[in-house]
Amino acid sequence: MADPVGMEQIDKADVAIGLVPASHDGGEISAAVERILQSSPPTKTVLIHPPYAANGQKPLSPNSQWHLLAHAQLAQDRATLAQSLGASYQAVFDLALKLGVRACAVIASDLASVTADWAPLLLEPATDNGFDLVAPCYARHRFEGLINRAIVYPLVRALYGKQIRNPLGPDVGVSSGLMRRMTIASRSRMHPLVSLAAEAITGGMKVCQSHLGARGYPPPDWADVSSLLAQVLSPLFLDVERYAPYWQRERESQPVQEFGRHRYVEGPESAVEVTRLIETFQLGARNLPEIWGLILPPSTLVELQRLARQDRAGFRLPDETWARVVYDFALAHRLRPISRDQILRAMTPIYLGWVASYALEVESASPEAVEARLEKLCLAYESARPYLVSRWRWPDRFNP
Amino acid sequence: MWDQVGQTLHESTVRVLSRMAWLLPGTLALVVAVLVSALIAWLAAIVLRRFLGGIDFDERLGRWGFRAVAQWSPHESPSLMVTRLVSWSIVLVGFILGLAAFDAALSSRLAFSLFSYLPNVLTAILLIIVGGIVARYLARNILIAGVNMHLQYARFLSIGVKWMVMVLAVAMALEHLRIGSGIVRLAFGILFGGIVLALALAVGLGSKNLVSRSLERESDRAAAANAEEPFRHI
Repeated sequence: MADPVGMEQIDKADVAIGLVPASHDGGEISAAVERILQSSPPTKTVLIHPPYAANGQKPLSPNSQWHLLAHAQLAQDRATLAQSLGASYQAVFDLALKLGVRACAVIASDLASVTADWAPLLLEPATDNGFDLVAPCYARHRFEGLINRAIVYPLVRALYGKQIRNPLGPDVGVSSGLMRRMTIASRSRMHPLVSLAAEAITGGMKVCQSHLGARGYPPPDWADVSSLLAQVLSPLFLDVERYAPYWQRERESQPVQEFGRHRYVEGPESAVEVTRLIETFQLGARNLPEIWGLILPPSTLVELQRLARQDRAGFRLPDETWARVVYDFALAHRLRPISRDQILRAMTPIYLGWVASYALEVESASPEAVEARLEKLCLAYESARPYLVSRWRWPDRFNP
Repeated sequence: MWDQVGQTLHESTVRVLSRMAWLLPGTLALVVAVLVSALIAWLAAIVLRRFLGGIDFDERLGRWGFRAVAQWSPHESPSLMVTRLVSWSIVLVGFILGLAAFDAALSSRLAFSLFSYLPNVLTAILLIIVGGIVARYLARNILIAGVNMHLQYARFLSIGVKWMVMVLAVAMALEHLRIGSGIVRLAFGILFGGIVLALALAVGLGSKNLVSRSLERESDRAAAANAEEPFRHI
């Protein structure tokens, strides 16, 4: 692909920041660029952003360390979120490597929530402390980031042994060494964002996380949960297959160094409505037993059918069962008893069942209690890891 | 006159007996050919079954992504299906060889018509296999999507689509086999046309209010869920 306009004026840079906004609103991008430019970096810094009309934006002073570079490929498409994010991250990495930077930060959250201190929080651990991956930590209420809470964080922690709260970012700081690894690895169909954490950990690189504060979200879309789940889990499960020799070795999870200040956000105070979630789970249990039967072992199927008969008061999906369900879907993704897309979409009712069970448990819990609840889930994933190892090695013989 | 009757009877008896004597070796040859081919088929089936069992053919086929074949096989065993296919093919070849013992011209005519019909049979088999796979795939897709969209009639929709595709595949296969092509075409046209007309009437006239109320209720529920939903999945 051709170099973006203005590339020839920048010979080399020390660090780079890439903006991959969900919005195509020029005003919003312009405001976010202005906020980021408020900080004064000590070294030459390139801000790579999508093209926008910079009406009224102040021009950069000639002594500024900032350089702006517009790149048309940086964008998110909600219909193909994983692919569009992957292409944008790869474009930023390629450009950053061409500029010879030491580290690069990529910001893909809602630009309205991006503040001036996000860039230093993502870059300084890499430039000053030699970390290769700076993962984000967000201030979230208990019902935010549920796919991450239910599946991504516990799975990555249990399999790769590092307690990274948001392994899939999307706002990350990356060293040039890790960018080079990802650029080489992208030829083997590795996802430039989803595989970052797994590639850094399995490559023995230094990993940390920075507390960025609150993060903005696009409005919820009910009908889209299954495609969202499929888009997030497909590259994640591909990594589980790719790094199988690594995670089959016994190891306990370790905390990683943290930067910034830990913050909480209060959740909604009123009682949550989970009737529809439970009904979707029950509908799935009535209609999908043949499909679940191709993926899950009989004992798990029996537990799910038992749960489907419970009313709201008794509706609790045990952590051990949920961890096994996720592991079984990861295994099915590898074995493909049916198409991979169908496997991932068939998981939606069980995931919504987990959300209902979790919501009922933490509906009036304090932030500390929610943390403790999440820790319990992670430990269940870790203790169920030998189950995955056995199923992975002998899928036909070990079928409890 | 009685002499003539006696002579005619004698001649016809001689003709029938000589005809039978001419047919007898052929019939015996047919029986022997079928028996020998059955014996060979039995031995081949034993060897093949042991070989396929030795290489875990059923499991391998599943791992190669052909799990649907097991569902179509007798006792859900693809090895058994392959074994039966091979053994019955040997018996069929033996039968054709036995027929050749009667009359070379007859056997060549039979072989010609059999072989000219074979592509139709193969195409029909292929159509039914592909139709079955497509029907199952679509049915699964619709069932999963229907459940995720919270449709109470997801299974009904899925079964309906499955049978529509299967009926289409079977109609196309019968057309290729030249079996009652006119009747099949007509029946299929009436069936499909009837379904489309019924749906059109249901949506357009008879159940207009019911369908619109149902659609409104569904969209209201989704909108309400969106508005009140405190959950953020990403």
